[in-house]
Amino acid sequence: MEDSQNSAPGSLQATKLAGARKGPDGQNAAKRLQTELMQLMTSPAPGVSAFPSADGNLLSWRATIDGPDDTPYSGLTFKLSFEFPSNYPYAPPTVLFITPIYHPNVDFSGRICLDILKDKWTAAYNIQTVLLSLQSLLGEPNNASPLNGEAAELWDKDPSQFKAKVMDRHKDIDED
Amino acid sequence: MSAAVASQWPQRRRRVFQSVFHTDDSQPTPHSTPCIRFPDQGQPFGGPAAPIRHQHARRAHAHAPLDAADPSPALSPTLTSSLSTIDARSQLAQPLFPSLATAADDQVVFDRAWHVVTARIALPASATADDSFGTLPPDSQLPHQAYTSDVDFYDALALIVQAPALLPRATHTEDVVAWHAQQARSHFAQHVVPLLSGCLDDQGDEPGAENRGRYRGTGRRGDYYERHMVIVMSSIRTLEAALRLYFYGFGMLVRGFHKLAVANGPGKPLVVDPELIATRFRRDIHALVGNSASPELMRSVSIVLVRLTGTILGIPSGDDSNDIGSVRSSQRLAPPTDDDLNAIATRQRLHELVEQLHNVGLAGERFQILFAEIMDSMMSDFVTGAYAGVWSASDTQSFSAATAMNTISRTAGASFTSPCILSLGDWVENHFSRLSLEVLSRVSPGAASPVKLSDVKTYQSLALGRLAALRISELFDIVLAWPSSRGALDDLRATITTTARRLQLTASFSHTLQTRLLHPGYSTLKILRTYIAIIRTLHALDHSKVLLGHVESSLQLYLCQREDAVRIVVTGLLASAEELRVARKYNETAKKPMERRSQAGHTGTGNRGGPEPGPFVTPAVGGGYRETPGTRKRRDSTPEAGPGDAEKAARDLSSTKLIELSLILNDPLQSRRASPEDEDLDWNDMTWVPDPVDASANYKRPKSEDVIGTLISALGSEDVFIKEFASVLADRLLTDPANFDQELRVLDLLKRRFGEPALQNCDVMIKDVRDSRKVDTLIRRKRKDRHEGKSPATPGTMDQALSAQGAKEMEYHARILSRLFWPNLDREHFLLPTPIVEEQKRYESGYQGLKSGRKLTWLNQLGQARVELELRDRSVTVDCTTVEATVIYAFQDPDAEDGNSSVRRSVDELYAQLQMDEDMIAAALTFWVAKGILRHVQHDVYAVAETLAAAANADSSSAANAGSSGSAAGQQPGAAMSTAEDKEDGGEPPRKTAGGKPAGASAKEQERRAMYWQYICGMLTNASATMPLGQMAMMMKMLISDGFPWSNEELQEFLGEKIADGELEVVGGKYRLPRK
Repeated sequence: MEDSQNSAPGSLQATKLAGARKGPDGQNAAKRLQTELMQLMTSPAPGVSAFPSADGNLLSWRATIDGPDDTPYSGLTFKLSFEFPSNYPYAPPTVLFITPIYHPNVDFSGRICLDILKDKWTAAYNIQTVLLSLQSLLGEPNNASPLNGEAAELWDKDPSQFKAKVMDRHKDIDED
Repeated sequence: MSAAVASQWPQRRRRVFQSVFHTDDSQPTPHSTPCIRFPDQGQPFGGPAAPIRHQHARRAHAHAPLDAADPSPALSPTLTSSLSTIDARSQLAQPLFPSLATAADDQVVFDRAWHVVTARIALPASATADDSFGTLPPDSQLPHQAYTSDVDFYDALALIVQAPALLPRATHTEDVVAWHAQQARSHFAQHVVPLLSGCLDDQGDEPGAENRGRYRGTGRRGDYYERHMVIVMSSIRTLEAALRLYFYGFGMLVRGFHKLAVANGPGKPLVVDPELIATRFRRDIHALVGNSASPELMRSVSIVLVRLTGTILGIPSGDDSNDIGSVRSSQRLAPPTDDDLNAIATRQRLHELVEQLHNVGLAGERFQILFAEIMDSMMSDFVTGAYAGVWSASDTQSFSAATAMNTISRTAGASFTSPCILSLGDWVENHFSRLSLEVLSRVSPGAASPVKLSDVKTYQSLALGRLAALRISELFDIVLAWPSSRGALDDLRATITTTARRLQLTASFSHTLQTRLLHPGYSTLKILRTYIAIIRTLHALDHSKVLLGHVESSLQLYLCQREDAVRIVVTGLLASAEELRVARKYNETAKKPMERRSQAGHTGTGNRGGPEPGPFVTPAVGGGYRETPGTRKRRDSTPEAGPGDAEKAARDLSSTKLIELSLILNDPLQSRRASPEDEDLDWNDMTWVPDPVDASANYKRPKSEDVIGTLISALGSEDVFIKEFASVLADRLLTDPANFDQELRVLDLLKRRFGEPALQNCDVMIKDVRDSRKVDTLIRRKRKDRHEGKSPATPGTMDQALSAQGAKEMEYHARILSRLFWPNLDREHFLLPTPIVEEQKRYESGYQGLKSGRKLTWLNQLGQARVELELRDRSVTVDCTTVEATVIYAFQDPDAEDGNSSVRRSVDELYAQLQMDEDMIAAALTFWVAKGILRHVQHDVYAVAETLAAAANADSSSAANAGSSGSAAGQQPGAAMSTAEDKEDGGEPPRKTAGGKPAGASAKEQERRAMYWQYICGMLTNASATMPLGQMAMMMKMLISDGFPWSNEELQEFLGEKIADGELEVVGGKYRLPRK
C-alpha cells in the first residue's frame, strides 16, 4: 500500500517538477545510479567493474580495479567501496580502497587524494569515469600532494623497492 | 383535629406506660381464642361480623381504654391453604405479643378484621385447568352490595387500614395491600406459570422448528404463524383470567379505601391513596407477568409480530409462500396501498393484539425491545427487498442527466434526490412511523406522543443509512453496470454524507475489488475496462476524486504487475478511426436495449430485478469472470439488438482492444479540460466547495473526470508508458502512413501530462515520417528530371525488364528515420531482388545529393510492398511485407517462360538465394500458401499454383500432385515492388505483426542474456563473491530498470548453461565465478 502510494504520485510529482528536479532526492540518486549501472553493464570498460552491494542498498557500491600493466600494480586486483550521498550526482561519492594498497595518494586506511573526488567533482562524472581515473592514478600518482610521503619518495627513487612494498602491502581480501 | 390528636395520644400514653413497666414486644401474649364460630377448612371466614361491629362501635365511643380486657377472637391457623404462610407467621409471632390485655385486645380486633378481609379477597387455590379462572371470579364486581358480608368486609378493611389509629395496641399489623400483592405473586408462580407453559406445550413446537428459524421451514410452514398465534392468544387468555382474579380482590380493597375516604370526610388526610396503590399494584402485577414470560412465549410473540408488521409494512415474511425465491425475484417489495384489505385487517389485528398484550402486562420493556428489534430488521428487509438492484432512474432523463452531470461537476449535492430515496422516505413516514406510533401509543397510553416528528426524521436517516449500506455492498456491481446504474449513484451520493460512511465505502469497495477483480482469472483488458468504469462511477459519485484515490491504490498496484496493461492502454488510445466508427455505431445499437432493460428493471420484471441479480454477483473465484462488464453482458443477452456484422466486429474489437479509451479521447466533453490545470483558485467560482475532510495533505481538486489521465498515472512510471507508447507509435508510423491525426492527438495529450522533453523522441519520429515524404518527392522529382533529360521513354538504365512488362514503372519510396530517436530497430540481413537493390542505390545517391555526408542504412525487413502476380488464369495484387515480396519474387523464373511446369523452389534453395533467415522464409511461404499463390509440393518444396484448380488441389494433396497440374509456363509474377520503405540505421521495434520477427526477437533475446550475464558477473565480482539464486534474482529485479522478467527457474536454467560453459561455479548452493 505504502509503496504504491509513493510510487504513482511520485512519478506525477516528478512530471510537475519537470525541469526543476534538482532537489536532494534519494529517489533521483537511485534512479541515476540504476542508469549508470545499466551503462556499466552494457558497455563495460576493461579492468574496472562496479556493482551495488549485496544488501540491496543502491547508495552503497563495491568496485574492482585491475592493476594496469606496466605499473607496479600489474596483476593485482583492488576492491573499493563507493558511498553515494542522497544528492548524487550533485555531490561526489565517498570512495575508499578496501584492499590495502601502497600508493602515494592513498593512506593506510584506504582514503584517496584525488581532486575529482573532492572539489573538482561535477555531475558529469560517473562511476565509470571515477574508476578509470583511479586506474590511471595507479600508474601516474600525483606525487606533489602525497598522502603517503614514503611512497611518493620511493616512486621516484627506487621503483624496485616500491614494487616490493606494493607486493608486501597487497593482500587479497575475500568476503568468504 | 381530633383524629390527629386521637391517634397521637394513645401512642404517647403507651410509650409512658411502657417506660414504667418495661414491657416490650417480645413478651408473650395469652393465646386465647374465644372464637364462637370456627370455620371449616376451605370455607370463607365470614363469621365474626357482629363482634367486630360491636368492637368497632365501642371503640368509636371510648378510645381504647388501656385496661379493656375483652377476650378477642384469635386468628384461626386453619384458614384456606393459600393463607397458610401468613397464618404461620401470625402464629409464630403471636406468643411474642405483649401480655397486656389491652394490647391483646387491639391485636385480636385487628386479627379478626384481618381475617375477614383476607378471607374475602383470598385467591382460589385451584390448580386446575385455566377455565377455573374464567368462572370463579364474579363477572361483575358491582353487585357486591348483595353480599351481606360486604359490609363486614368494608368495616374490617377500615379497621385494618386505620389500625395505627384505631387499634394502637395491635402491635402486629399488616399492610393488606402488600399482602394481596404477595398473594397474587405466589398464586401466579404456583398456578399461572404452569398453565402458561402448558399453553406452549399444548401447541407442540416440534423440536426442529426452532432451528429452522423464522423464515424457513418445510411444508408445515403455512400454519407456522397460526400455531404461534394460538400460543400467544391462549397465553393472553390465561393471563387475562388470572389478572381478573387478582384485580377482583384488589378492586374490593380499592373500593374500601374509597368508602373510607368518603366516611372520613374531605378534610381528613387519607391513610392511603387508592389511586396510588392501584397503579402501584397494577405496575407490580404487570412487571410480574412481563418478567415471568418465558422465552418461548416471547418467541411466539415475536413471530406473530413479524408476520403482522411485515404484512402492514409490505414485507412478506416469507412463510406465506412456499417458494421464497420466485416471489422475491419476481416482484419488488412495496408498501401496501391504502385500500389493501389484507393490510387493513392485519393492522386491526395488530392493534387488538397489542392492546391485549398491554392489558395482560406483556407489553412491558421486553415487548418494547422486541418490537424495536423487529422494526429494525423490518427496515433492513424493506430496504434490501425494495431497492437491491434497482439502480436505474425512473425514466430516461437519467441519460440526459448523465451528460449534464459532467458540466456541473462541482455542485454535487443532495439537491437532486433520487426516486429510491423519495420512496423510502415516504415509506418511513407513512408506514413505518405510523405503525410505530400506533403500537407504541397502545403500549404506553399515558405518554404524550411516543413518536415525535424528530423521531420520524431519525427513522428516515436510519433508513437512508441502510440504503447507503446496501448500495455500498452493491457498488462493484453498480460499477459494472455503468452507466445504466446512475440512479444508484444518486442514492449513494445523497446518503454518503459522513466521513465514516465514506470510509466504509472505500474499505468495502477495496475488499470487493480484491476478491472479485484483482485475481488471475480476469484479463488485463477487463480489469482496465472495469477501472475505467470505476473512475467514471466514483467521479460521478464524488467529484473531488478523493474516494477514487482511496480505492484505486490496490488496483494500481495490481495493474503494475500486469505487463500488458500499458500496451493495452496505448493501443486503445491509438485505435483507428475505422474501429472508432464501428464502436460508436455499436454503442448506439447497444444503448436502446439497455434503456429498455433499465426500465424493465425498475418496474420489477427485468431479469436483474432480484435482490441478488445473478450475473453480477458471481464472485468469479476460481473460474474467472464470465463476462465483461455489465453493458456488454446485457448486450449479449439481447440478440435482437441488431445482430449485424458491425456488432460482431465491434464485439470482437471490444474483446481485444480498449476501444473506450479512444472514444473518450474523442469525446468533446473530455477534451474540454484543456484549460490550464494548475491555475490558482478562481475567486469568482460560486460553486466552490471546500475539499473533503478525508482528502490527503497534497490534495488538489481535479477539474474533470479525466479518465485517461487517471488511467495513465495509474500505470506506474511514466518511463514505462512513454517507452511503450514510442514503440507502438513507431509500429504504426511504419505501417499506416496515410495520416496520423489520432497519434498526434494522443501525443499532445501525453505531452500535457508528461511534459515535452519526455516525448521528444515521439516528436522526432513523427517529424521523420513527415520529412521523409518531402525528401521522397524531392528525390523522385530529381530523378525524373534526370531521366527525362537522358532517355525520356524507357524506365531507365536499370534492368527493369520484369516490371516493365506491365509497362509500368516501379514506384519506390523510402522513409528516413533518425536512428537515435526510434525504438531499437534491428537490421535483418537478406538479399533483395535486383531491381529493388538498383532502386535503393539510386535512391541512396539521390539522398546523398540532397544531404551530403549522410549515408543511408537500409532496413529491408521493415517495408511494405504491393505485389502484382500474373498467373496463368488470374492476376493477383497483394499487399505484403518486403520479406514476403522477396520470397515470392524468388519464384519468378525468367527461364521458365515457356516451360510446362510451374516454378518450384525448396527452402534450402531459397535460403541460398536470398540469404534470409529460415524462419522468415518459412513464415513468408506460409503466407503465400495461405493466399493460394504457392502450394506445398513436398517436404520443404513449394511450387507456384498457376491455376485456381491447382491451388485447390494443393490444399487436399500436397505431395502427390507433383507436376500434375503443370501445363503452361506463363508464370509471370510481375513483382512491382511499390512502396518499399527502408530505413536509415537502426534496430527493430518489438513488433508482433509480420514475419521475420522470430529471428529478430531471438537476437534481442541474445543481447538481453548477454546483458544479464554482465550483471551477474558484476554482482559476483563486486557485491559478493558467492550468492544464492534467490538473492541474485532479487538483485536483478531490483537493479535492472526495465524490469527483470525471468522467474527464478529461468534464471537458474540460464546459470546452469553458464556453469556448463565453465563460466560459473556453484558451491554449496551458492554461485561464484571461477577463480582465474
